[in-house]
Amino acid sequence: MHNKSTYLGIIQDVKGTTVSVTLANESLSGLTYVDGEGYRIGQIGSFVKIPIGYVDLFGIVTQVGASAVPENQVATQPYGNRWMTIQLIGEGQRNGKFQRGISQYPTISDEIHLVSESDLQRIYGQSDKPYFVKVGHIAGAESIPALIDINKLITRHSAIVGTTGSGKSTTVASILNALSDREKYPSARILVFDIHGEYAQALKNKANIFKVNADKTEGSIEKDLFIPFWALNFEELCNVSLGAFGNEKDENIVLERILLAKLESIKSYPKDGINVETMNVDSPVAFNLNKLWYELYIECFATYYSRNSGNPIDNLAYERDGSGSELKGNMETAISPIFRKPKNEKEDNEKINYLPGNLNIGQQLLSLGAKLRIPRFNFLFKPGPWTPGPDGKTEEDLGSLIKEWIGSDKPITILDLSGVPIDILNTIIGVLLRIIYEGLFWARNLSQGGKNRPLLILMEEAHNYLNTESSALSIVQKIVKEGRKYGMGAMIVSQRPSEINSTILSQCGTFFALRLANATDRAHITSAVTDNLEGLTSMLPILRTGEAIILGEAVKLPMRTLIEAPPKDKRPDSQDPIIYDEKDLENSLYPGGWGIKMEENPNYDEFVEAWRGQSPFIKRIIKE
Amino acid sequence: MKRQHVESSNIASIGYDEKSQTLEIEFLNGGVYQYFDVSVNIYNSLMLAASHGQYLAQHIKGYYRYIKV
Repeated sequence: MHNKSTYLGIIQDVKGTTVSVTLANESLSGLTYVDGEGYRIGQIGSFVKIPIGYVDLFGIVTQVGASAVPENQVATQPYGNRWMTIQLIGEGQRNGKFQRGISQYPTISDEIHLVSESDLQRIYGQSDKPYFVKVGHIAGAESIPALIDINKLITRHSAIVGTTGSGKSTTVASILNALSDREKYPSARILVFDIHGEYAQALKNKANIFKVNADKTEGSIEKDLFIPFWALNFEELCNVSLGAFGNEKDENIVLERILLAKLESIKSYPKDGINVETMNVDSPVAFNLNKLWYELYIECFATYYSRNSGNPIDNLAYERDGSGSELKGNMETAISPIFRKPKNEKEDNEKINYLPGNLNIGQQLLSLGAKLRIPRFNFLFKPGPWTPGPDGKTEEDLGSLIKEWIGSDKPITILDLSGVPIDILNTIIGVLLRIIYEGLFWARNLSQGGKNRPLLILMEEAHNYLNTESSALSIVQKIVKEGRKYGMGAMIVSQRPSEINSTILSQCGTFFALRLANATDRAHITSAVTDNLEGLTSMLPILRTGEAIILGEAVKLPMRTLIEAPPKDKRPDSQDPIIYDEKDLENSLYPGGWGIKMEENPNYDEFVEAWRGQSPFIKRIIKE
Repeated sequence: MKRQHVESSNIASIGYDEKSQTLEIEFLNGGVYQYFDVSVNIYNSLMLAASHGQYLAQHIKGYYRYIKV
């Protein structure tokens, strides 16, 4: 075998999965030819094979040169033989089947051979199976497609990491494009949490787009994102509406009142699956929050004429306006009533006192009242056809809402969260994930449940809401730990993996690691990947843009892949702004940048219009 | 807005809405922009210019405000 062109050297030392090899003298030139194609010897990250009987062991080169010399040999041959360190990763039968893990170890004097393109083809290239999708091709071997096993990709979760500008969004778009192929996967179901509104443009043909304060001018395909407050559990509802309570007693009073309102509602409008006995305060039953707020507001702030007979509540001391009518406020529009100041003077027969009772949630009620009035919170508190009437009646039930999200005619749903107030974004993401998780879990045996139509959840910019203090963390942890069983797969995208909770990252079976310069981030990825491939992750800082190392369960061997970018009009809107275009003015494809003079009298009214409207679409734009 | 395909080194198509005086440019990279308050004369000259890219650079870029749509 020594004269075979793929021959590299022989094994001198085996220690666990680390193998030390001396390179043969014949290959000193550094270049060898196999079937007429040139291969560089000893490239970090390249594959080698070790033929043992009927199987080939495969390994990856992690170290070359003087420092790869085993410690006890350093003194005798500081520069002597050329050494190479290899990490074993798997084995392949001669008939071509490759699998991870090894059944036997190599031993000293076994030969090491180069892995040629035809070997790679054998390992990677099985594009005939419909559950493989192509995301690009192997770096350095254009004829070999980079195939991903979607069974493993989705159920075992995945993470896409890389520095800003390394091609993360393009990778995501490429994967989503491949997965949303209607011919191949007619029932694909993908939900995208889009924090910055980047993906609408790229996926508009294949996706429904839901957005808070959607652009509803003609020609727009955005639809309103509604998250009815009554679908939230008690804790979530308090987080987004009332805020924290001063003591447990107040909290319990509010809890009781919400439960009571929900009970009334379920009595008037019975729903399948729930009844008066089984429901609790967390059950998704519609009730009127404005009414509850108004009643609690009166109990907390009202004064009454204490000399009058009858119930205090019937003798409320409202302030009067100029024309003499009582300022009772408005329940519907959340205008607070105004009450007279308490007074207790000797000569005056009119006595005014605070209502008896010791509810101490004034601050919380004021905060809720403000939120009920602000239009930015309408997606929660006035959720279109899911807004409850005074007795809890709604035009639509939750079924139609969830059908819009995960049961529509299109494979992808984008939840564009760019309009959600930043202080409740974490809670909202947690709520959406919880509703979907619980739904898919309990409906798991139905045809639209998680077991029969699994869901892929893509979480963009995950470091923002999956860090250790986030309120969405616990539900995402649940999804990555348990989701596999109930048909929920997470795909986590981040430029800052070190800020993501480590439980979540360690549950990801597949990694798409793009260029990552930061050492802390890299260490985080290295420790999270299942393969013992430090050699590979050390390549992360020098990857080219759009190049990824794909590691883990969805691929047979770690692949260094050039991701195939989708067509230009199908790329996400996350390109860097142009400072100075490389092309000259006449050929520039951009109208702006620092290199072009700007218009006279710039219009900042439109600037503010966009800001006020919380939408880049101003009314001056001509549609159709 | 209906855009007309043009031959140019950087522009893919050009459209115009006379009522609102809005010029719409699609660049070859797929980016579509609307320039506001562009008179019909400028639009006509742009369409007639030997090089659309040159005319755009000399008479429109830097003179009219625009928005990416």
